[in-house]
This record gives sequence, structure tokens and C-alpha cells, in this order.
Amino acid sequence: MSVIIILLIASIAVAALFLAAFIWSVRDGQYKDEIAPAVRILFDDKPSEQIKEVEEAKLT
Amino acid sequence: MQVEKFYYDNQTVKNFAYATILWGVVGMTLGLLIAVQIYLPAANFGLPLTTFGRVRPVHTNAVIFAFVGNGIFMGVYYSLQRLCKARMFNDALSKIHFWGWQLIIVAAALTLLTGHTTGKEYAELEWPIDIAITLVWVIFGINMFGTILKRREQHLYVAIWFYIATWVTVAMLHIVNSFEIPVSFLKSYSWYAGVQDALVQWWYGHNAVAFFLTTPYLGIMYYFLPKAANRPVYSYRLSIIHFWALIFIYIWAGPHHLLYTALPDWAQSLGTVFSIMLIAPSWGGMLNGLFTLRGAWDKVREDPILKFMVVAITCYGMATFEGPMLSLKNVNAITHFTDWTIAHVHIGALGWNGFLTFAILYWIIPKIFNTPLYSKKLATTHFWVGTIGIVLYAVPMYWAGFTQAMMWKQFTEEGILKYQFLETVTHIIPMYVTRSLGGLIYLVGVFIMVYNLVKTVKSGKLAANEAAEAPALSDVVETHGKQYWHKWIEKRPIQMLVFSLVLVAIGGLLELVPTFLIKSNIPTIVSVKPYTPLELQGRDIYIREGCYLCHSQMVRPFRDEVARYGEYSKAGEFVYDHPFQWGSKRTGPDLARIGGKYPDSWHYNHMLEAQSMSPGSIMPSYAWMLDDAIDTASTPAKIRAMKILGVPYPDGYDKQANADLMTQANSIRINLKIDKINTAANKEIIAMIAYLQRVGSDIKLQPASEKK
Amino acid sequence: MDRAITKKVTVQCYHCGEDCTNEIIQNQEKSFCCSGCKMVYEILQQNGLCDYYSISNNPGKNQKTKIREDKFSFLDDIKIAASLIQYKDEERTHVQFYLPQIHCSSCLWLLENLHKLAPAVISSKVDFERREVAIVFEHKNYSLRKVAEQLTAIGYEPYLSFNDMGKQLPKTDSSKIYKLGIAGFCFANIMLMSFPEYFGIDAKEKDLLVLFRYANLILSLPVFFYSATEFYNSAWKSLKHKFLNIDAPIVLAVWVTFTRSLYEVLSGTGGGYFDSMSGIVFFMLAGRVLQDKTYRQLSFERDYTSYFPIAVTRIQDNQTEAVVLPDIKLNDTLLIHNEELIPADGILTMGKAFIDYSFVTGESEPVAKEMGEIVYAGGKQIGSNIEILVIKEVAQSYLTRLWNKDETTIEKTNEHSFVHLLSRYFTWIVFGIAIAGATYWFFKDTDRIWNVITAVLIIACPCALLLSNTFTNGNILRRLGRNHFYLRNAQVIEDIATADTIVFDKTGTLTTGRYNDIQYEGATLTWQQKQQLYALASQSTHPLSKAIVEWTGETGSRKVHAFKELPGYGIEGMVEGNFLLLGSKSFVTHQESKEENDSIVYLSIEEKLMGKFSFRNQYRKQIPDMLQFINKKYALAVLSGDNAGEEKYLRELLGFDTHLLFNQNPSDKLQVIKRLQTQGKKVIMIGDGLNDAGALQQANVGIAISENNNHFTPASDAILSAWQLPKLYQLIQLCKFNKRVVMTAFVISVIYNLIGLFFAVQGVLTPLIAAILMPCSSLSILLVTYGLSNFFGTRLGLK
Repeated sequence: MSVIIILLIASIAVAALFLAAFIWSVRDGQYKDEIAPAVRILFDDKPSEQIKEVEEAKLT
Repeated sequence: MQVEKFYYDNQTVKNFAYATILWGVVGMTLGLLIAVQIYLPAANFGLPLTTFGRVRPVHTNAVIFAFVGNGIFMGVYYSLQRLCKARMFNDALSKIHFWGWQLIIVAAALTLLTGHTTGKEYAELEWPIDIAITLVWVIFGINMFGTILKRREQHLYVAIWFYIATWVTVAMLHIVNSFEIPVSFLKSYSWYAGVQDALVQWWYGHNAVAFFLTTPYLGIMYYFLPKAANRPVYSYRLSIIHFWALIFIYIWAGPHHLLYTALPDWAQSLGTVFSIMLIAPSWGGMLNGLFTLRGAWDKVREDPILKFMVVAITCYGMATFEGPMLSLKNVNAITHFTDWTIAHVHIGALGWNGFLTFAILYWIIPKIFNTPLYSKKLATTHFWVGTIGIVLYAVPMYWAGFTQAMMWKQFTEEGILKYQFLETVTHIIPMYVTRSLGGLIYLVGVFIMVYNLVKTVKSGKLAANEAAEAPALSDVVETHGKQYWHKWIEKRPIQMLVFSLVLVAIGGLLELVPTFLIKSNIPTIVSVKPYTPLELQGRDIYIREGCYLCHSQMVRPFRDEVARYGEYSKAGEFVYDHPFQWGSKRTGPDLARIGGKYPDSWHYNHMLEAQSMSPGSIMPSYAWMLDDAIDTASTPAKIRAMKILGVPYPDGYDKQANADLMTQANSIRINLKIDKINTAANKEIIAMIAYLQRVGSDIKLQPASEKK
Repeated sequence: MDRAITKKVTVQCYHCGEDCTNEIIQNQEKSFCCSGCKMVYEILQQNGLCDYYSISNNPGKNQKTKIREDKFSFLDDIKIAASLIQYKDEERTHVQFYLPQIHCSSCLWLLENLHKLAPAVISSKVDFERREVAIVFEHKNYSLRKVAEQLTAIGYEPYLSFNDMGKQLPKTDSSKIYKLGIAGFCFANIMLMSFPEYFGIDAKEKDLLVLFRYANLILSLPVFFYSATEFYNSAWKSLKHKFLNIDAPIVLAVWVTFTRSLYEVLSGTGGGYFDSMSGIVFFMLAGRVLQDKTYRQLSFERDYTSYFPIAVTRIQDNQTEAVVLPDIKLNDTLLIHNEELIPADGILTMGKAFIDYSFVTGESEPVAKEMGEIVYAGGKQIGSNIEILVIKEVAQSYLTRLWNKDETTIEKTNEHSFVHLLSRYFTWIVFGIAIAGATYWFFKDTDRIWNVITAVLIIACPCALLLSNTFTNGNILRRLGRNHFYLRNAQVIEDIATADTIVFDKTGTLTTGRYNDIQYEGATLTWQQKQQLYALASQSTHPLSKAIVEWTGETGSRKVHAFKELPGYGIEGMVEGNFLLLGSKSFVTHQESKEENDSIVYLSIEEKLMGKFSFRNQYRKQIPDMLQFINKKYALAVLSGDNAGEEKYLRELLGFDTHLLFNQNPSDKLQVIKRLQTQGKKVIMIGDGLNDAGALQQANVGIAISENNNHFTPASDAILSAWQLPKLYQLIQLCKFNKRVVMTAFVISVIYNLIGLFFAVQGVLTPLIAAILMPCSSLSILLVTYGLSNFFGTRLGLK
């Protein structure tokens, strides 16, 4: 079953990669605030009206 | 520096949305076709490319990689831009990604229909397409990580993590599983043989489900569900924990597809245990999804989009609970090889992936065409029709699977099998009919959606570039209370990209590893010999026609199977099987011990018209095998390839292979002649017969002393 | 009149959602309770930020209390600014403000769109849990002060206090998380590669097995050398104090397991127990992390500095300037504005002081001070501006001294948790068994001895005890938190459970501290008269006047002429030609009267005595019942800075064996607690405001009452939301259950250990058995603790 070795190398490599990612994300304070991010995605970042018109004008 | 203005790319989103719909319709229609073929052999039209064995892989590939695949890209391209507050990294890449993927799909459909397949389920595509997939996937990766890099939002929303996981893992799986040695432009042999091939294949197969059908859709759920319900996800912390738990466990559930096979015990148990452990994180995700709608059920009542999502998430919950259950040995002993599996996967495909995709389509199309949905009522109708479709599909299949398994296992008092295999099939035909009805209804629902969306599109105008503005990411990030410049930490996504590429490279390096795999220490059985050239050609026809989709080649160590088929399969029997042909479903009987069971003439007639040999059989006719000639030109190349893979043919055997081929062919021709069947020796049917007569016969030759 | 009432019911302020009581200001079909709210609305409207109102309804906070324009002038002072700024370069400034008003998604949205109001702002990010906003702006054409004022203008006045100066953000220690993550990663993969070990592997694949073993060994290193350090440290600490805490035996077990496994692998005699070891570490860390639940939006560590303004106005040769507290010198003249805190003791040199000391003494009645009198730090001026001459520096002032005195008296022992004691016995028993087993095999088969000893130590490590403890604590803490009862740490649970005496502060704790309970005796007032009374009373900021305004329940705006306020006596004025007097008996009736009572106010219209208002602190809802109930179970005491006006009522309520002490200043309260403790009592002190600070710290458990979770509470062991006070008894009960749950879970896990021991002493503990027992016991502990604590919680009718 030596093929298991390939699978192991591959899997553990990936797992390790994600461990690194995990540590980074904690270090980066990604999870500092567990409320705001969930709320933030609900907002659309459409530009305030007057700006929009100008831009539209430029486009067309 | 001022607030930055930028534009979201809705063009690509639209393209992927259209592709999703198109391929969805195609894939499901084909599904309906094969569902009918199961009980109506005539529906195979006697043509190679309309025969079940060829259409079925097109159906699975179309649904998984075309429908769901495009669905994923639609969801990712829409949500990633908004979550990162940035346009996709590069428009050109987006275009290449889109068209590249569609090209691959078309190529896949054509090659599969014309019988070019690797014979590995869910990885049937031949090597040139595999390479194309890798390239397009890398392009997708660059585009995604590039976007993450130039994002204007410091926090990576949990959905993005799911996307990243998807990308990295799928890349790795695809590469590891696709090691194959090309024989010709559209023909290759898997590097691995038998048990090893099986393990890799299902390690891949399971994770394809995990990381192509699940993680990206969870990411999508975490974005679109809150948006559609306009309320934050129930518990963001839970979503984070759920993600990391899932990532660390999923990879290892693969082997549960091989319970009771010739795979070593410990590997099987490993699959089981990790599958069981999966329940926790999976349900974490489901509950998080459902609780998000807590106290918003009034919204659900009038909003079809939320309706779709609720059912989708529920189906996800059911499937992720059922999965681990199925990986329990005693449950698996019953359900494996039956239609239960089919029901299980369709709960996932029709319910989870299908419904979530519909929900997103209903949500995105009006948004990017900034116009309300043409008709909420139609959408609701679609919802109900679809739901009925799923029920009508799943219930009969569960029933059929269970009934058939029970019948298989029944013995009379005298201790002989109660039912012939064929009886167990004809018994469940009514359920097959109902299933296809369910499929039809589901498909009707899809057409309702298409109409609804077309109307919507007509009434609106695509905002190809949607204006948005956000302040640039201020590049100071505070850690441990102190403040200092952290430009580089923001650059982490680049590191992640590099990491992943390194990973892909590791995969590439592993290309070398297989050379040592050849001297694999599978318990060898002396009497097991390489296939003769003719048998090899026959085997390739067997693969080409997708026989493995209905016939397993794996006798499990159960009383009934041994009684029905013969001695149970040993790991050592498959050392020369590139690829393995164990199969995963027994629409027809197992063939592991078919060799020498019937006379050559029986096979001949059976291929011509199965019903003539076994009345009531649902096997289609393979008449063309009787007329088409064996492609002997390819023999030397095939032999050489096999030699590279360590099959012990004598040196220079490729030269004389065809000679041997003809001698063996002639002997079979003569056998047939005795039974009043006149045919030339160079016909495919001859090769086919040769192979079938060989399958699983070696072990019978071995001296009793070696038997264990 | 009816009209007035219907108005009260119907009209809600579009901005803050409060009823528009006094006046209704219209602005295009939108009505506002006050000009403040209207102004905020107009600003947002002009900048196209009205989504603010669509994201959630009436998201604003009431703007009735005006903020003076120059309030933030002190931010122009470079020195002060520097102390607040977190990072600054050529063109950008990074600053973080604490905005107590943040409460909904609208807040989040508006604050993060600040750049639409102030182009100079580059970015603003909200930390919702901490209620902080981190702002980056270009200081070329914008200033810290402008930012603060902009925030104030849209209804988010930054709260700047003395201890914000140069404050570092609390160090978020995520090392435990890393350890957990790494342990988890290694655990999963070790388990993965132990499967051949568990289920046997084909003889032909032995080489593979060896590979797996070494892989496990490598993977176990980070667990042993990094993740497990958590326990090494605490064990070492306790040993240094000559005390064997629970971590000591665990460390022992971990080491034994590791060394034995190491030996087995290197000698090729077996696979070892790396999976069990890493598993145990992983689960125990998980427990720790769960137990260390922190309420980041709360601070248990506040001292007086967080109540003091960051700067005050000093008058020097007729120039006013902002000066930070430490720089206040003797003989400085300070200008104290309305609603501002007096930072240092001083002599009143100008203006009429009318000072609310409730904050320091608990005395809810503001006191009037004449020129030349001494005013003490911590008092809050109400009404017109005053000037004081500093006679003691901030550090020497009454309040500060009071505080520092308390500090010295505090010492709390933490390591005496029953769990640790229990673990000690446990450890000895384990050693006993190990030795017994060893001696047995010594006679039977000597080369099994080590095998047995190690096996016993591995199996019987008290990790079960630690697990049940940490997981239970974690659950209880979460449960309490859900009921708005926030504990500083897990130890507090036990302290609460063991307490036998409860001391309450009255004002602000049992009572709301506001005079809502008004009786009026006398001639009934016409609507006309009520309107006039309303008009007059609303001119004054005195709490009693405010209470009367509430009582009239009127609205509208009648003009008041010749208004005069005589601090300590009353107010007078002409309304619609009627002369009204409102105040003390002597003031209203113009004749000396013996029985002066602070909480009775007389009213005369046109010199005709109409009647009198008598006031009483209003008790929080259901408090009396709660007191009577708890009185049966605990020794109670009630301390109050207030006069004895309430004594009678409380006596009836609590009977005679309860201490009722009035006119208690902070140090008195502190002494009371001490006395109780010297009598061997374990005391829970429950109070609000700074006047209880000393007592709260002295008590075995100090529980601070808070009106809303981000309201300022003195340093304490626990914070309880005011409206949950009636639930106090149930909450305490839950803490008591903690011990029971731990024991139950522990007993269960001991069963697992016994099974394990059964194999261990026979020297036949296979990795598989170990591998099955370990997660089984851990998981069942998890479930049991979770199940039981929730069961008890629900049985107590808690959320």
C-alpha cells in the first residue's frame, strides 16, 4: 500500500498549509471582532448619488 | 488619499450564470435519458454514443463540473468582489477562465461520448483535458488570490476561507489522482494499479464531493444566505470553528467507499472513523445556516429564494448525516452497490447543490440586471415542483436499494440463494420508473426557472460594471496592542498563493514517486499473470463502453456474494489492473468471477442482444462490437506503456504482441464456429470475449496450498 | 390634557425612538424629541446617509443633553493629543475612540461611512465588541478635535477619560489558541497514522508501520514542547509555592507517556501512546480556552482614573487653557462646567456650587456649597459654571486617597480551589496503585514492572478532573453571561458558591437612584396649573425638579420670567402672570420650620400654598420579593450613603436581624465588610458607583450593578445587569451547582480510568484501548458537563 505514502504527504502538506493559514489569521487579528464582519457584509457599498451620476456620465 | 471608486465586474458573473443554466439543463436532461434507459433498453437507440455506458459519465461530469462548477464560479465571482471590496484581479484572466472552462466541458462531452475515458469514476477525462483543467484552475487561482491581495477590507470573511480551501485542495486532488501514462493522444493508463488505484481514486472521489460540491457551496451559503435574509449569520464564531474543523478532517474520509473491498482493514476503519467525525462540523454548518433564519420564518414564507435555501441546507444536513452512517461497515454491507447510493448522492445534487444554485440565480440575476424578478409566483411554483421532484426521486431509490440488497442476501432453507440476480432487478423496475418521473418533474421546474429568468433579463439592463466606492485598506494593523507597520502581513495572501503553488509542485514531484510504487508490496499471488494483448484490447473496450458503471468486479466476503459469484476478491488479483475496474454500482451482476462461467458463444449473443440469453435483462445491445475491428495498431504502444508501469512483459514483447493477439483471437473464432457463429477474428467482440473469459480466472489456477 | 397624553403615547422620535415628551420638532413628516436628534438627522440627510435609518429603526441615541461647543478644545493641546494618538506619520494619524453609544448595525454602518461626512477621514473601522472605532485621517487639514466633534455631531460622543492617556490596548494573548490549533493538527494526524497500530497491518507492510511510528514521533514533538507548556508553567508556579495543583500530576502523566512512547518507538517495541498524549493535551487546552471566556466589552479593572475627565480648564491670568490632570498644581484656578467632575479638592472661589456627590458617597441629594467652602474631588457640578482654587493635587485628593487606601487592603487567594485539593488525593491514590501494581509484578514477572507503572500513570492522570472542571466552568460562565451576569474569571464561580453573607448597597443598587416615587398631597392642580408648574420646574436641573417635571407629564413651552434658583432652598418664577414658588417649607412658606426634610418639596402659586410633594427612592422591580426570599437563605446587610429615610420600610422587609446602616461613607462600607470577614464570614458585596469601590474590592466577591453593559462600573469580580438583580438567587444557585456538575463528570470519567487501570495493572494496555478510552472519557465529560449545567440552568428558570 505504498501509495498511502503519497496520499499522506499530500494530505499532511495541505493540512500543514492550513495550519499556517490558521496561525496567520489569528495573529492578524482576523477573529478579534466576531460580530462586525458578519454584519458588514450586509451593507452595499454603492457610491452616494451625486458621485454616481457623474461616473455614469463619464462611462457613457 | 481619497475614497476609491471602482467597478464590480458583473459581465463574468452573468456569463457563468448563463453557463450554469445551460449546462444544468443539458446535464439533467441526460440524467433523465439514462434514468429511462435503465428500464427501457430501447432508449439506448443501439448507437454507441447514446448508450448508457457512454451517456452516464457525461451526465455526472456535466452536473458536477459544468452545472455546479459554473455555479461555484458564479457565486465566487459575485461574492468575492463584494467581500474584498475590489474588482476581480484581472479581466483577461476572468475571460480565459470562463471560456477555458466551457471549452473543457465541451471537449469532455465529446470525448466521453466517443468512448475516450480513463475508466475512473468522476475522473473519466483523458490526460489532455486533465492538463487543460489544471491550467484553467491555476488561472482561477491567480485571479482569486490576486483579488484577495488588492482587497479593501482587512477581514477575510469566512466564505473566502472556504473558497481558498476549495482551490488548494481540488488542485492537489486533481493532480494526485490524474497520474497517468499516455498511450496515444486520447488514451492513457492510470499510474496506479488495482487496490492502490482504488484507494487513490476514492480518496479523490470522496474529496471531490467534499471540496467541489461542499466547501465552495458552504462558502456561497455563508454569503448569500445572510444577504437574502438580510440578517447576519447566526454565529460567526461557529462558522469559523466549523470551517477549520471541516478542513482538518475531510481529507481522510475517502476510504469509506471501499469497505469490505480488498483494501487493508486499517485503511477501511480509518475511512469510517473520519467519516463519523465529520458529522460534527457538517452539522455545525447546517445549524448555523438554519438558525440564521431563526425568527425570520415569516420572511421565508413569502420569499422563494429563502425557501430554496432552507430545503438546500436541510438536504445538506440529511446527506452529511447519511454519509457517515453509510460508512459504518454493517450499514455499508447493505447499501453499497445498490441504488441507495444513487439516492444519497441525488439528495446532495438535487437538494443541496441544485436548490442552492437556483436560489443564487434567482438572487443574482435581478441584482445585476437591476430589475425585480419577473415573477415571484413562478419561482415559488418552481420551488414546490422541484421539491416534489426530489421526493419522487429519492424515496423510490432508497426503497429500491434496500429491497434489492435484501433480496440479494436471501437464502432458502436448503441454503441456496432465493433469487436470481435478474429477478432482483425486474422487481425494482417500477421504482426506476417512478424515479425517472421524479427526475422529469424536477427538470420541468428548471424550465420554469429558465422562462422566469429570461423574462427577468429581458425586462432589465445588465450593469456590466457596477459602480462602488470604499476607502483603501489602511495598511497599519495592530497586533498584541502595539502598533507598527504591517504592509507585509497584508501580503500574506501572496505567501498563501506561493504555498499553494509549492504544493502543486509537490504534487508534480510525486510524478516521480510512482516509479517506486511499481514495486508495491501488495500480497502477490503467483498464478496472477499479466493480460494477453487481446485481453488488454478487450479490457480497453470494456472501459470504453463504461461497463464498470453497471458491473462491479469486487466480490465481498459475504455468504451471499460468495455463493452467487464465487470466491471473494483478493488484493493480489488486481496488480495488473490499470485502472482498477471494481465499480461502485451493481445494476447488473458482479463480473469478478465471470471468466469461464459461460461459453464464448453465450457472450457473443449476449452482447448482440442480452434479452436473448437472459429474458427481461435491461442490458443494452452492443451490436457494433460484432462489426468493428480491433484497433491492433495501438497494441505495441499499449504494451510498452504497461511495461513502463511494471507489468512484466518480456522485453521487445510489443513487437510480437499483435501476433499473439491474432492466435488467441483465432482460437476464440474457432470456439464460436463450433457454436455455429461465424465471425472474423479481428472483431472487437473477440477481444471482449477474451477479456471476460479471463477476468478473475487466474486465482482458480493457483495450487490449493497458496489459497487463503 | 387628553391630547397631551395621546401625544405622549403616539409620537416617537424618528432618531432615537424615545417618546417626545416635552416638545415635538417637525422636519418633513419626521418628528424629533429634541433639536439635538433633529440636528443629527439633518447632517445625515445632507450627506445622503439616510440608510442609517433604514438599516434598523430609530437607531440613534437621545441627544437631549447638549454638549458644549468647546468641550473637546483640549484635544488641540499637542501633549494631550499625543497621549491619545496611536500612530502618526507625515500625513496620517491613527486614533481609536471608545463610543459607548455603539449598539446596532446602523451605528456600524454610519461610523464606517464617516469618510462621506469628513473627506479627510481615510478609513474608520468599528470593533463592535469593544464599542471602539479606529479612525485614520489626514491631519493636514483636519484635527483630532475635529474628528471628536464630528463624531459628537452625529450622536457618538467619544468617551475620553483620564486613563485613556497613552493607554495601550489590552494585550490580547492568543498563545493558547496557537497551542490549541497545533495540538489539534498534530492530534488529528497522529491518530490518522496510528490506525495501522490499532487494527493491525499486513506482515508485508511492516516498513510502512515503522514509517508511521516515526511520523507520529515527529508530530508529537510540537505538542510536547509547545502546546503542553501551558501546563508545565502553572504546575511549576504552584510547586514553587510548595503546593501541588492539578497540573502537576498531569504534567507527570504527559511526560511519562511521552518518554515511554519515545522508548517504544526507538526500540521498535511498539507504537507508543502519542495519540493519547496529544489527544489529552488537545482536549485539556480546549477546556482551558473555553473557561478563559473573556467579556472584552467589559472592564473589571476600572479605577477612579477612568471616571475623571482627561483634562480640565485652568484659568491663568484670565486665559483659559486645557490642562491634563497630573499637571494640576496647588493654587491653580479651575473652571468647572455643568455636569463636569471635580478632579481635585479645592475651595469654591466663584459661582454657586451645587454638587452631586452620589458618585462618591451614595448620597443622592445634591448639596449646595457657598463661596469659600471646600468641595471634594469626585463631586459633579450641576448648573452654572464654577471656579475652584485647588488645595490638594489630584493624587492627594480625598477620592484618590480613598481609592489607594482600598488598593492596599486587597489580597485574594486563588489557588485553594477544591479541584486542586481533590487532585492531590487523587494523585496519591494513583501512586498507590502504581506501586501496588509494580510490587505485584515484581514477584510475577519483573520486566513488566515499568510497563505497568507507566501504563498506570498514563491512564490515571487526573486530566479527567481537569477536563470536567474547565468544561463545566466554561459552560457555567457562558450560561451566566447569557443572563447578563459576567464573571471576571472561573475562580469567582467557586467564591460565589461558598459565600454565606450578602451585603447590598442601597442607592443605585436596590433603588434606581432616581425619585420616580412621588406622592402629592394638597389641592388638586388644574391642567393650567400643572402646565405652569411644568414650565417652572423644567428650568432647574435639580433631580427633584426633574422628578416633578416627569410627574406633571405635561408638554409645551410656556415662558417663565424672573426665574431664580436658590440652591438648597428652591426655585421661583413668573408663569403666565402667576408667581410660583417650589422648594423647602421655609422657602415656600417664608417661616422657620423645625422639621426640615430634604425629600419633601412644597408648592405655592401666587403665595397660596397648594400642597407638598414627598419623594421616595424607587426600588427596582421585584427587588423587595428578592430580598425577602434571599433573607431566608443568607445573612443580609444593607449599606446606604443616604439618610435613614428608608429605615422603617427596610426593617419591615428584612426583619431585625439584618444590619441596616445609613449615612455610610465609602470607608465605612469598607470597614463593615472587613468586620464581617473577621467574624469568618465569606461576603458578597453588591453595589454600583465608586462609593462602593472599596467595599467591592474588600469583599470575597464584589458584584457591580450596571444599568447597561458598557456603563461604567467600579473594579469588581463580577458585573450584573441591573434588571437581572431579581434573579440574583438563581444565579448564585447556578454557581453552586458548578461543583456538583464537576463531581458528577469526574465520577463518570473515573469509571473510564478504572477500566483503563484494569488493563494497565495487568500490563496489557494496548494503544487501541488507550486510544478508545481517551476520547470516550473526554467526550462524555464534555457532554455530561454541558448537559447538566444546562439542565440546572433551565431548572432555575434562567436563559
